[in-house]
Amino acid sequence: MIEFKQVSKVYPGGTVGLNNIDLKIEAGEFVVIVGLSGAGKSTLLRSINRLHEITSGDIRIDGKSITSAEGRQLRVMRRGIGMIFQSFNLVKRSSVVRNVLAGRVGYHSTLRTMLGLFPKQDMELAFSALQRVNMLEKAYQRADQLSGGQQQRVSIARALAQEAKIILADEPVASLDPLTTRQVMDDLRRINREMGITTIVNLHFVDLAREYATRIIGVRAGEIVFDGPATEATDEVFSAIYGRPVSEDERLGGRNVEAI
Amino acid sequence: MNNKTIPHMPSPPKPFYTRIKTWLVLAVVIAIYAWAFSGIPFTGIKQTAWQITKAVFNGLFHPDWNYVYLAEGEDLLRGLAETFAIALFGTTISVFLTIPFAIWASRNLIRTRLFSGASTFTLSLIRTFPDIIMAIIFIKAVGPGAFAGVLTIGINSIGMLGKLNSEAIEDLDMGPSEALKACGANRLQTIWYAIVPQAIPSYLSFALFRLEINVRSAAILGMVGAGGIGTPLLFALEGRTWSRVGVILLGIIVLVTIIDWISGKLRRRLVQGKA
Repeated sequence: MIEFKQVSKVYPGGTVGLNNIDLKIEAGEFVVIVGLSGAGKSTLLRSINRLHEITSGDIRIDGKSITSAEGRQLRVMRRGIGMIFQSFNLVKRSSVVRNVLAGRVGYHSTLRTMLGLFPKQDMELAFSALQRVNMLEKAYQRADQLSGGQQQRVSIARALAQEAKIILADEPVASLDPLTTRQVMDDLRRINREMGITTIVNLHFVDLAREYATRIIGVRAGEIVFDGPATEATDEVFSAIYGRPVSEDERLGGRNVEAI
Repeated sequence: MNNKTIPHMPSPPKPFYTRIKTWLVLAVVIAIYAWAFSGIPFTGIKQTAWQITKAVFNGLFHPDWNYVYLAEGEDLLRGLAETFAIALFGTTISVFLTIPFAIWASRNLIRTRLFSGASTFTLSLIRTFPDIIMAIIFIKAVGPGAFAGVLTIGINSIGMLGKLNSEAIEDLDMGPSEALKACGANRLQTIWYAIVPQAIPSYLSFALFRLEINVRSAAILGMVGAGGIGTPLLFALEGRTWSRVGVILLGIIVLVTIIDWISGKLRRRLVQGKA
C-alpha cells in the first residue's frame, strides 16, 4: 500500500508541483494517472521512489516512510519499486541480460556486482523475467539492436528481476507506435494481474487509460481533481481534468489510426 | 524598374563609436606586432650558412645505415624501442590515473561545484605545464633515464585525458543512471553499470590518441636526458654527424607513422562500434 499524507512539492522557482496531496493506493491496483503535461503527473509518480524530493508531507510504502529513509534504507526501499521510463533508459551498449541483471544490483555488495558475480538464482530470475515479456531469445543481443517496443519490454523485465512489488511507469508508451503501445500495455496488465504487482502508469491517451486502468487519477495544477474507477471516467470527466474538451491527438484510436 | 518603386533601403547601423572601436582594435594589434618584432634580435645570416646547410642536407640524404643495428647496443632500433616503451608505459599510467580526475571533474556526477572545480583546476594546471620542464624536474628527482620520461608522460598526459574524459562523461545519456538509482543501486554501482559502459569507447579512443602524441613527445624528451632516441639525436647534432642525424630522424618518422596508422585504425573501429 502506498500512502500520501499532505504531500506538497514546491520547486525552487516557486512553482507548485504538488499541492497537499492525500492519496492511498492499495496493493494490486492498476492506477493510471492522467493530466496535461506540467500538471504534476510525473512529479507525483517520481516522488514515490524519491527520484523527486517532496518539500513537505510524508509518503509511506507498506507503512514505512520513504520520505525519511536515508542511505541503505532508501536503497532497500527503492529496489522493491521497479521503474519504467519513456526513454527506456537501458544501457544501449550492454547486452539485454546485463541490463536486466542491473535490476539485481541493489541486492548485493558493491564489489560482487562490479565483478559481475551474480548468483545462479539471479540469472534464473533474469531469464524468467525475459521469458515473461517474450524477449528470451534476445538475451545476448545488445540493447541498441532492439526496436523501441522491445527495449521497453526489456526495461519491464528489469523491474521484474528486481522482484518489485510496485511498478511505476512514467509515460511508458509516449515514444512508441500504436501497435507496440498495446503490446507494452498488455505486458504491464498481465504482470499486474498474474503477479499482483501494484502498477501506476502516467498516460496522456484518454482511451488507453480507460481501457487498462482499474482506477484513474486525474491531476491538474498539482492537485487531484478526479479519483475513481475507469468506468466513471467519461469524456466530461476528462474535459474537467484537462480544463478543455479532449482533443483527437489524446486518443490512441484503433490499430489503424496513426498516433501523433 | 522605376526608381520610385524601390523602397527606401535602410543602411546598416554603423554609429560613430563602432568605427572608432574598429580602429582602436586595429591600432592595438599593430602595436603588439611592433613590440613583438622589436624584441627579436635579427643577427643576420652567418657566412658559413650555405656550407652548413649543404652538409646537413647531404647527411640527411645519405643516412648512416650502419647505425640502425649495432651488435654492442646503443643503436637506432634500441633507441626507438625505448622511446616507444616510454610512451606506452607513460600512457598506461596516465590512463589509470585519469579515472578519478575525470569523474571528479564531471559536473553531472559531482554536484558540489567546489569539488568538480578543484579537479578541473588541477587538470588545467597540469596542461599548462610544458612536458620539457616537467621532464627536467623529474630528472632532478629520479636521475636521467627512461624512468624520468615515463613519469613525465604519465603525469603530463593526465591534463588532457582528464579534461576530454570528463567532458565525454558530461555528454553521456543520464537516463540509465536514473534507472539504476531507481533500482536501489548505490553511487559506485550506478557509475559501474550506467556510466562506464557508455564511456569506454571514447575513453579508449582518447588513450590511443594520447599514445600517438606521447610517442612524439618521448622522442623529444630524450634531448633533456629523459631516455629514448632523443639523447643520441642530441649527441649527433652536437657532433655534427649529419648522416647519423638523418638516420635518426628517418627512424622517428617511421615509428610515428606506424603508431599513428595503427592507432587510427583502432580508433575508427571504436567509433564505428559506438553507432
